[in-house]
Amino acid sequence: MIPGKYRSVSGRAASNVNCGLHLVIQTSSLPEKNKVEFKLNKETPSFPGRLLQHDLERNYSSRQGDHINLVSSSMPSFPILQRSSEEKILYSDRLTLERQKLTVCPIIDGEEHLRLLNFQHNFITRIQNISNLQRLIFLDLYDNQIEEISGLSTLRSLRVLLLGKNRIKKISNLENLKSLDVLDLHGNQITKIENVNHLCDLRVLNLARNLLSHVDNLNGLDSLTELNLRHNQITFVRDVDNLPCLQRLFLSFNNISTFESVCCLADSTSLSDITFDGNPIAQESWYKHTILQNMMQLRQLDMKRITEEERRMASVVAKKEEEKKRESHKQSLLKEKKRLTINNVARKWDLQQHRITNIATNQDRKDSDSQDHCQNDGSTISAFPEETRSLDSGLTSALQGLSVTDTHLVEVEGDTLSLYGSGALECLDRNWSVQTAGMVTTVSFTFIEFDEIVQVLPKLKIKFPNSLHLKFKETNLVMLQQFNALAQLRRVDQLTIDPQGNPVVNFTLWKYYVLFRLSHFNMQKINGTEVTQNDMIMAERLFGILAHVASSELPQYHLISILGDARKKQFRYLLETKGKKPGIVNEENNDSKRLVGENTNRATLNYTTRDFYNEKLEEIKEKKKFCKMYIEDLVKEATEINMKNEALQKLWPQMFIELVRDAVMEIRNKNSYMKLCLQQITDQK
Amino acid sequence: MLSPERLALPDYEYLAQRHVLTYMEDAVCQLLENKEDISQYGIARFFTEYFNSVCQGTHILFREFSFIQATPHNRASFLRAFWRCFRTVGKNGDLLTMREYHCLLQLLCPDFPLELTQKAARIVLMDDAVDCLMSFSDFLFAFQIQFYYSEFLESVAAIYQDLLSGKNPNTVIVPTSSSGQHRPRPTLGEASMLEGVEASLFCQCLENLCDRHKYSCPPPALVKEVLSNVQRLTFYGFLVALSKHHGINQALGALPDKGDLMHDPALDEELERLLAQIPGLVNSVTAGPEASCLPARTPPRVGSPWRPLHHTRKVDAESDGSTEETDESET
Repeated sequence: MIPGKYRSVSGRAASNVNCGLHLVIQTSSLPEKNKVEFKLNKETPSFPGRLLQHDLERNYSSRQGDHINLVSSSMPSFPILQRSSEEKILYSDRLTLERQKLTVCPIIDGEEHLRLLNFQHNFITRIQNISNLQRLIFLDLYDNQIEEISGLSTLRSLRVLLLGKNRIKKISNLENLKSLDVLDLHGNQITKIENVNHLCDLRVLNLARNLLSHVDNLNGLDSLTELNLRHNQITFVRDVDNLPCLQRLFLSFNNISTFESVCCLADSTSLSDITFDGNPIAQESWYKHTILQNMMQLRQLDMKRITEEERRMASVVAKKEEEKKRESHKQSLLKEKKRLTINNVARKWDLQQHRITNIATNQDRKDSDSQDHCQNDGSTISAFPEETRSLDSGLTSALQGLSVTDTHLVEVEGDTLSLYGSGALECLDRNWSVQTAGMVTTVSFTFIEFDEIVQVLPKLKIKFPNSLHLKFKETNLVMLQQFNALAQLRRVDQLTIDPQGNPVVNFTLWKYYVLFRLSHFNMQKINGTEVTQNDMIMAERLFGILAHVASSELPQYHLISILGDARKKQFRYLLETKGKKPGIVNEENNDSKRLVGENTNRATLNYTTRDFYNEKLEEIKEKKKFCKMYIEDLVKEATEINMKNEALQKLWPQMFIELVRDAVMEIRNKNSYMKLCLQQITDQK
Repeated sequence: MLSPERLALPDYEYLAQRHVLTYMEDAVCQLLENKEDISQYGIARFFTEYFNSVCQGTHILFREFSFIQATPHNRASFLRAFWRCFRTVGKNGDLLTMREYHCLLQLLCPDFPLELTQKAARIVLMDDAVDCLMSFSDFLFAFQIQFYYSEFLESVAAIYQDLLSGKNPNTVIVPTSSSGQHRPRPTLGEASMLEGVEASLFCQCLENLCDRHKYSCPPPALVKEVLSNVQRLTFYGFLVALSKHHGINQALGALPDKGDLMHDPALDEELERLLAQIPGLVNSVTAGPEASCLPARTPPRVGSPWRPLHHTRKVDAESDGSTEETDESET
């Protein structure tokens, strides 16, 4: 940077340039705020500078080294600017030093009335030597190498400050520029908006092509109408609702991806023009209608007018989205609740299963667990009933969680009724609408003891008559006998026994046993695989004899006691009709025969739950005791009689001899015997 | 009839020995249980049916374990019933685990204890992993020994343990036994090297056991036979030998010989009839020669009381008016 380079620059160029300036700026000494209009463009500022350049280019070639004299001053680095007096008079308020290859601001002497100063396209690194120009209104330092805003503290009248395309890193030292109308800082390295809050007359602020990552700290800019933030790295915008006059906001080519990050815009009533193109948000499907919906005051979006049609569409779509979001939120809430409940039930089930071995250690854990649950669910249970009610009324979708507590879960989903936890079995007592109940074809039991399920099977038969598919998971199916309990249902087409929690599946013969015992159902599928004719044959082959033995070889009374009341009538009927000729067949007979015929064979194969069985045995104990006593008494009697009999046997010969002897002795004396007999006869009378 | 030994026993003991009282008590209990039903067709008939079923061995079906265990006859009937019902499973060749056999047992007796099945399994598997698969015949014969002679086996186990640890229970009772008294106590090392106990010593102890105790034991002669073949034997070795011994099986009388285990022409015929009734079934060709056997008239191979009765019952079906047979024919 050798000042000497520029010494020979003539002033003529400056004067011509001054003419260029003429075109744009009004000559009135105090330009009113409203009359100074600048169109700010993101690329190149379309205000004085460009025109200047254009003019300059036209004239420059012939304008070398005239008009302005930059003589060396006493200070080694600063050239001193001097103009010819005629120019001073002609253009007393403006001075153009464009493209003068200046590296420093020259000292400008005797130009205290200067109102317009143009330093465009130079290499100036610091703003200096202009403090004396206290009437300055327009200062243009576009395209220089300024690193810091400084040296402006005396320019209290400054209205337009153009510092575009420099190397400014920070907004500062603008405190005294309270009249500032236009501030252009585009093309710099500014990372933060600061120190502008006092600029209450500022109308245009250009911060395009900087390094801003967010927008805030805009309060105090009460006159701002245009804010240009294009080509930054902005991710969120704040404080814009504090700008009462802001009409145009340009946010193109930033990093905004959600509406939440610019939500303050919705609160700004003055905004009419906004651009978001080049942001990630503009690629989203919901972009347009979200913006339109939230910013009803907008007139232009991305430089295009917004039509009524667009607005209407936007509100419709927005409403739909809202609805969808609400529903999905509800559903996800429901799902979460379900998941938690199922986990809960599973945990309780596990505890229950291991209760026998770990009863001591688990007791405390269970207590604390249940306490936790009570505390946790004190709030959720109260919250949930309302939700279920509203769900019942509002939701038409397939999913309905009808009853959820922390211990069990009942869920009807289309054609499947799912029950988790033993408490869920109580739902069968509830009143179900015929439609809902009729639609249910699959019933799934999880985390419930099979023995408990057995007890509610009759209710299931009545309440859900169309249930054809039963699924069991974690139900503690351990013996083949338990399948006997399923025979009381009306019909089962499919059976799914999940290996998890059902040890019975490990047996080789379990499927055949099911097919055998439930042959009257004509099952289609077991655990997803189709039932073939061969399977049926095999089942019969394996267990047919069992059925035969169980029915035909059982004594009659035993048969009846096992089969119970329902079958008693049928059996009695058969008992009575056995005498009839086999050819005669009644209507009734046919039906009952078919029913009984199908089931008799296996009907004696029943399942009573362990508890029930033990109960029965307990009951019988009394009877057994009584029987024992009774028999003992009988035996005693019998043995006594036997003893007496034997004793008699032993004694009889002796007794007989005595009898005979007595008799003979009596008759020995005929006369006395006759007398005795007569006596006896008279005595009798 | 009027043999002296019969009259030697006091009445009650005589009855008890023949288990008459058990059946009487049970009969009366059953009567109480099903008062209403039985009163319909008469008490006399009930008693007839009851004791008929006792003779036939069908009285134990679906009864509680305490009853099944009560008398040797019950146990034998149960074994026989189990064999008849599940012979087809064995015939099919499936190898099942102990738990599955237990399941099958539970089909006939809901509260059958698992320990018995486990013990039976241990016999088959020689005390190894109890979850191995076993064949039907192996299990059945082992189970027979375990179930029928449960108490006997317990005592034998106790004796075996005593002998293993060197104590000889015979020293007190049989003073003339020479080998027993003077046998030095084997050191632990010695005992572990030699497996089991000496057969002859064991045999003597068992003989004494058989004499002493009232419950059923295998015929001592046969036990001797088993033990005479080996020098030393382990507990489970002994049990396996017992289970496989034909003589003992025949003495028990519940099951046929091993070779005939899968044979039961009468029931096979019944099975074919049932199979034919499966809806939609094309007549399948039955495998095996059983089907071609003369139905139900072949003389029984095992001299047991059951088979002739079975046939007699069939013959009586029409005249007796028992409903089971006619039900079958109607369906």
